[in-house]
This record gives sequence, structure tokens and C-alpha cells, in this order.
Amino acid sequence: AGAFAHLMESLLQHLDRFSELLAVSSTTYVSTWDPATVRRALQWARYLRHIHRRFGRHGPIRTALERRLHNQWRQEGGFGRGPVPGLANFQALGHCDVLLSLRLLENRALGDAARYHLVQQLFPGPGVRDADEETLQESLARLARRRSAVHMLRFNGYRENPNLQEDSLMKTQAELLLERLQEVGKAEAERPARFLGSLWERLPQNNFLKVIAVALLQPPLSRRPQEELEPGIHKSPGEGSQVLVHWLLGNSEVFAAFCRALPAGLLTLVTSRHPALSPVYLGLLTDWGQRLHYDLQKGIWVGTESQDVPWEELHNRFQSLCQAPPPLKDKVLTALETCKAQDGDFEVPGLSIWTDLLLALRSGAFRKRQVLGLSAGLSSV
Amino acid sequence: MAQDSVDLSCDYQFWMQKLSVWDQASTLETQQDTCLHVAQFQEFLRKMYEALKEMDSNTVIERFPTIGQLLAKACWNPFILAYDESQKILIWCLCCLINKEPQNSGQSKLNSWIQGVLSHILSALRFDKEVALFTQGLGYAPIDYYPGLLKNMVLSLASELRENHLNGFNTQRRMAPERVASLSRVCVPLITLTDVDPLVEALLICHGREPQEILQPEFFEAVNEAILLKKISLPMSAVVCLWLRHLPSLEKAMLHLFEKLISSERNCLRRIECFIKDSSLPQAACHPAIFRVVDEMFRCALLETDGALEIIATIQVFTQCFVEALEKASKQLRFALKTYFPYTSPSLAMVLLQDPQDIPRGHWLQTLKHISELLREAVEDQTHGSCGGPFESWFLFIHFGGWAEMVAEQLLMSAAEPPTALLWLLAFYYGPRDGRQQRAQTMMAYVMATCRHGDLQPCGQRRSPVPTEVARDETLPAHSPAKRRPFFPKVI
Repeated sequence: AGAFAHLMESLLQHLDRFSELLAVSSTTYVSTWDPATVRRALQWARYLRHIHRRFGRHGPIRTALERRLHNQWRQEGGFGRGPVPGLANFQALGHCDVLLSLRLLENRALGDAARYHLVQQLFPGPGVRDADEETLQESLARLARRRSAVHMLRFNGYRENPNLQEDSLMKTQAELLLERLQEVGKAEAERPARFLGSLWERLPQNNFLKVIAVALLQPPLSRRPQEELEPGIHKSPGEGSQVLVHWLLGNSEVFAAFCRALPAGLLTLVTSRHPALSPVYLGLLTDWGQRLHYDLQKGIWVGTESQDVPWEELHNRFQSLCQAPPPLKDKVLTALETCKAQDGDFEVPGLSIWTDLLLALRSGAFRKRQVLGLSAGLSSV
Repeated sequence: MAQDSVDLSCDYQFWMQKLSVWDQASTLETQQDTCLHVAQFQEFLRKMYEALKEMDSNTVIERFPTIGQLLAKACWNPFILAYDESQKILIWCLCCLINKEPQNSGQSKLNSWIQGVLSHILSALRFDKEVALFTQGLGYAPIDYYPGLLKNMVLSLASELRENHLNGFNTQRRMAPERVASLSRVCVPLITLTDVDPLVEALLICHGREPQEILQPEFFEAVNEAILLKKISLPMSAVVCLWLRHLPSLEKAMLHLFEKLISSERNCLRRIECFIKDSSLPQAACHPAIFRVVDEMFRCALLETDGALEIIATIQVFTQCFVEALEKASKQLRFALKTYFPYTSPSLAMVLLQDPQDIPRGHWLQTLKHISELLREAVEDQTHGSCGGPFESWFLFIHFGGWAEMVAEQLLMSAAEPPTALLWLLAFYYGPRDGRQQRAQTMMAYVMATCRHGDLQPCGQRRSPVPTEVARDETLPAHSPAKRRPFFPKVI
């Protein structure tokens, strides 16, 4: 046991040193590196990759390595500050040599002699094969090939899927977000809320909101494509989703933007799937509705300020919600009826927006039933 | 050596021009042309590398001043980068240009430029700014997420194709034919990248509602080539679809099989069986259209080689594998016998398709007589004007080696006078073209021979298509026809 602990300690130190190396590899500090340093760095990377391959499934070793990585992140102040200079997660060990190689290759500060040596090491030429593992040369070539593949598919076949939750680009981003949330949870480097908050500030917001929505709609027990090495470990998006819901509920500004920016259909799906969101969503819709007033001349409901949500959009969202399955649909109708009652329970249009909405929804439903050839009787609407 | 370098210079000019025309391969024509040439270009790159690696950086620039341009243009064409090992060889060539110790600013600049190109091959090709920002913001490097991204894109496209296939009339979800064609072109250089297999499969299996073929022929060729060289592994249903949709691919697969059989030195039956099973053709032949083409090619081969025994052996082994595959095939996909053997009566086909080993010994004679009757009827019935005449009947009969064996065994085992029906079968097997008289003579000759040598040994190898023991007896009388038949070596 003593020998094992000793080995583990040396392995963990190795990991520490490598993480430092990786962080440094994209800075100007590499101008001091000579060919020997480059060679050593690559050797370390190869060693760690080998460790990952051999012990990736070994509980204790993996846990120890993960904990060390989480330690490192905690010391750097969590993820909040931007791209992680070191390894993204445990899986990254599986290609840490590629990570290091690419950073060094792109670093203009690397001296000529060191660069020359680097290139020789990375691309020794034909005839160098390893029976067990893929060589670094092969890994790099495969990455280049896969990049061209993605590029070609993107420009020659890909179409954005109108159902965002099925769009491959969106799905990939959502999977990454959920994976990251999982890591943050495990690392306890910071509260997930703080992490999400920092993302909100740094990233393009529109895209971020879409990714959150798609992440909230991911199927329950999906295997992440990135994690090919751990078949026994099921990571359910359930945990990640809970974190997201919690964060949205705690951040009214974000949630308002969320509800405003995303299409009605998507929001309905999200709200059906995560009932905790429905009261807040309905509350928002109610607020928006109350800001509109009836323009007698034009005969429509209008807002006072430019950022007010227009009637059509409001109607759209309610219509979509009314097409959702039972618990949500009933809640929505109840809410509308309540609002209507509070307003005075008018039946005549033009006096209460809630009356008008209900009227519009009913006639819409009626027409839909006609089109579908269903009975003309009014349903629950 | 000098000739090599002259060749290289010529090729160099050719490829430089091609690359300039192709540019980034963004149009249909440039994509098609690139796909057609991508394999040859890789060969050229290999030759270049072999030449370049012997020189130092300065010599390279002297010898090929525009080499940088050529390599850069190649790198900007994603179809080239995506193909097989081209990206690797391009990188090797670029590495040959790097100056270990740059003496002047010009050389430094060159090094810097090469670094840029290497970066491009490995790191660039950014497409969606938002996606890149997002992933970076989360702390992921491309190597972390590219495999997953590719998988998602491939699966998404495959499921779109399937939906298109199933919901053809729902015009909202339809995939435009140009888009499907475009996808098939994109797959050509990527065919050996396993990540793309689900897409290839979906393209083969799903066809839209268009009456004409949408997929590009170069796609079919590339897939077929990869299948024959075992560089891709696709489910049987996809392979069958390929061969049904693109006849040249099926023909090529057959030719590939023939080549293997011819080039292999001594073909024992077991090896023939191995080659045949390996080719997936017997399984595919469960589909009648494929069976007919395969059979036709066998027929041609037989005629071309004047009935070579190797071809007959191959046909027999193939048929055996085919029958096995047919039995395993799903019950729902059973086709009528007539679709496989249109030129013969169904009753004859049915009898012949039985496994001789399933028949109890006591019934052998009966069964053989029945077969003989049916065949004789088909052969001697000229007025019917049917079924290709005696050749077709004989061609059908030789598919099933087990019966000829059984005839021989039956004849040799029984001490009694050989029944005419059996003699007829044997004579027919070895001399389908004989007229009635000739055949009668042959039959008589056999009877005489067996009477004289009553203790002939039984057949050797169970599965041998040719009862060679009979031929070994050299002291047979001169009643055997002296005229050399164009079809077979003399048996009797």
C-alpha cells in the first residue's frame, strides 16, 4: 500500500507539472525552450496519455487524478474567469499530447530550433507505427480529417433544423454545457450559479439562451459522445438540467431574456418538461399582457414602448401553450380565466386583453378542429 | 532517376493547373472533378514527398520555386484534406520546406508562412463564430469536441435522410435532390473515415421519390471500392442497395472475385468457398435481380472458357453458399423460384434446389430418375421453343454438383445393370451438346466399361464436382468418341 501511495503521488505530481506545462505552452515563455525541453514535454504528454488509456476505468486512480485536476481549477479561481488554460476534464488526458502539440505549433514565440525539432517529433514520416496505440502523427492527421469532414458537411449538407433541440450544432453545444456543469458540480470549484453567471456575461447571449433551452430538452439517459472510455458511468443530464432550471428561476433578468428571445414552440416544450418554470413563465406573460392597451382607432392591442411585446407574439405564445399536453395546458387556461375574471369578466372584445386572448384562442381552436375534420363541439377551451 | 524527375515536373504542372481551377471546391463541377482525381493526386503527393525528403529546404525551393503555392492550394481544398492520407502527406511535404536555421529574413518568412499553413490544416476551418466562441468560453479545445460534433452531424443527416425516405409525400420535410447529391459527393473522400459510416448507409438505403438516380456515380464507385478492399464495413442491406442501384459496382464485385480466384495458385474447394463467402455475393444474391446478374456473369465466363472446370466448381460452391443464405434469409423476403430461374420449369428448379444430403439413401434412385425425366423433357422438347434449349437446362443442372456426384455414386455402388435414366444424366452432364445418337453411344460405352471393371472404387472427395475416379481408368475401349468435344476433357 505504501508503494502504491508513493506511485500515486509521483503520478499526481506529474499531472501537476504537465498542467503547468500546458498552461505555459501558449504563452511567450516558450521562447526559452530548446529542443530538449520540447522533447521532454512531449514525452510527459505521451506518458499521461498512456496512463489514461491504461487506468481510465480504474476507479481509485481515476478519482485521484480527477480530484487533482479539480484542485488545480480551484486554485485558478474556478471556471469563471474564462477558458481553462490546462486540461478541460479527465477525458482530455486521453489526447493531452494533441492539445500540447497544437498549442506549441500555433505559438509564434517558439524558437526556430525548437520548432524544427517539434515538427520532426510530431511528423516523423511514413513507416512509424505503433501496434497498440495510435501514434501522435495519426491522431493529428485524424483530427485534420475530421475537421475537413465537419467543414464539408457544414457547407454541403447541413441545414439548420427548425426544431432547435434536434439541430446537431445546438445539440453539441448543449451536451458540452451539461458536461461542464457536471464537472463544476464535482469540482466544487465554485457555485454553479456563479459559473453560469460568468458565462452569461462573457458569451454571446442569444446563442447561450438557445443552448440552455436545448440542454433542458436533452433526453434523459443519453451517453455523451465524448466519453467513449467509460461505459459503466452514466451521466444523466438530469443533474445539469436541475442546475439550469434553478439558475433561471433565480435570475429574473436572464429568464425574461430567455422567454423573449426564444420561439414560442421551444418555450412550450421546455415548460412542459420542467414544470417549475411554468408559473414564472406565465407570470411574465401576464406582465407583458398588462402593458398593452387597446387602440380604439386601429382596433388592436398595442404597447406604449418599443420594447413591449406585441399582441401577435403574446397570442402566439399562449396558442402554443394551449397545444401542450394536459397539466400545462390546463394551468394556462386557468391563469387566463383568472386574469379575465380579475379584469371584470367581460365578454365583449376591446375591454380586457384576457378576454380577447381567450376569444382568439377559442376561434383559433375551432378553426383548427374544422381543418382537422374533428367535431365542431368546443373542447375544454 | 532523370526520367522520374522529368515525369514529376510534368505532373507538377498538371496538378498546379488543376488545383488552381478547383480552388476551394465550392461548385458542383469542381467537387466532381476533385473527387475523380483525388486518389491520383495523393499518389503524386507521395512521389513529391519521396523526392523532397532527399533535399534540404533551399534545394527544394530552387528545384520547385512554386511548391509553396501548390501545397497551399491543396490545403485550401477540403476535399483533398479529407481524403485518406492526403493531409498527412501534405504535412510531410510542408515539413520538408522548413529551414532548420534560417539565414535571412526571407527564409524566416518562409518558415513563418509554413507554420501558418500547418496551423490551417490542423486548427482552422472555423465555421460558426458563435459556436467557436461558445466552446472556447466553456474551456474546450477543438480536439475535445470535434469527434462529438461530427457524430451529431452525421447522425442528424442520416435521420433526415430516413425521414425523407419514409415521409416522401410530406413536402415540408423533403430533402432537395441537389442536397442529397451534394452529400453523396462529400462522402467520396471521406469514405474510409468510420465516423461517416451511418451517413453512407443512410444514403444507400434511403432513396427519395425521384424516378431517376440522384446519387453521384463517383459515390457508388468509392463505396464499392472501399467494400472490396475491406476498408469500410457496412450492413448487408446497404451493400445490397448499392449493388441494386449501381450495376457497374455489382459487376466489379464479381470481377474482383474472379480475379482473386484466378490469381490464387491452387484453389482447393475450401479456399474457393472462403473467397466466395467473403465477397458477400451469395447473401446479396438472395435478391433475384442480383442473382440474375451474377448468374449471367457465370454463364459468360463458362462460355468464354469453354466450360472450364474451375468455373464449374466455382458455380457449384457459389450455389451452395447461395442456397444456405437463402434458407437463412427472412421469411418475408422470399421470392418465387421463377424469379431466380426464369428459364426452367419451377418443378425442376424445386427438385434441384433440395439438398441431396437431406434425401434418404433409399430414395436416391427415385429422385435421380425424376430429375433425369424432367431434364430430358426440357432438353428433348424442341417444339416448346422455350427456355434456351439444352444449354440452359445443362447450365441449371451444373449449378448443383451434388446431383452429378450422387449419380456417379449410385452407378458405382450398385452391381445391377445401370438404369438408363442415370446413364442419361451422366452423359448429359458431360456432353450437353450431343445429339441423341451420340449420347446413346456414350451411354453404351459406359455400360461396357463398367461390365469389364466391376470392382471400380467409389468416388473420392464427397464434394468434388467431377467424379474423377471414373476418368482415371485408361483401358477403356475405343468405343469412346474420338472426336474432341469443344466443351470438356474426355471422361470416358
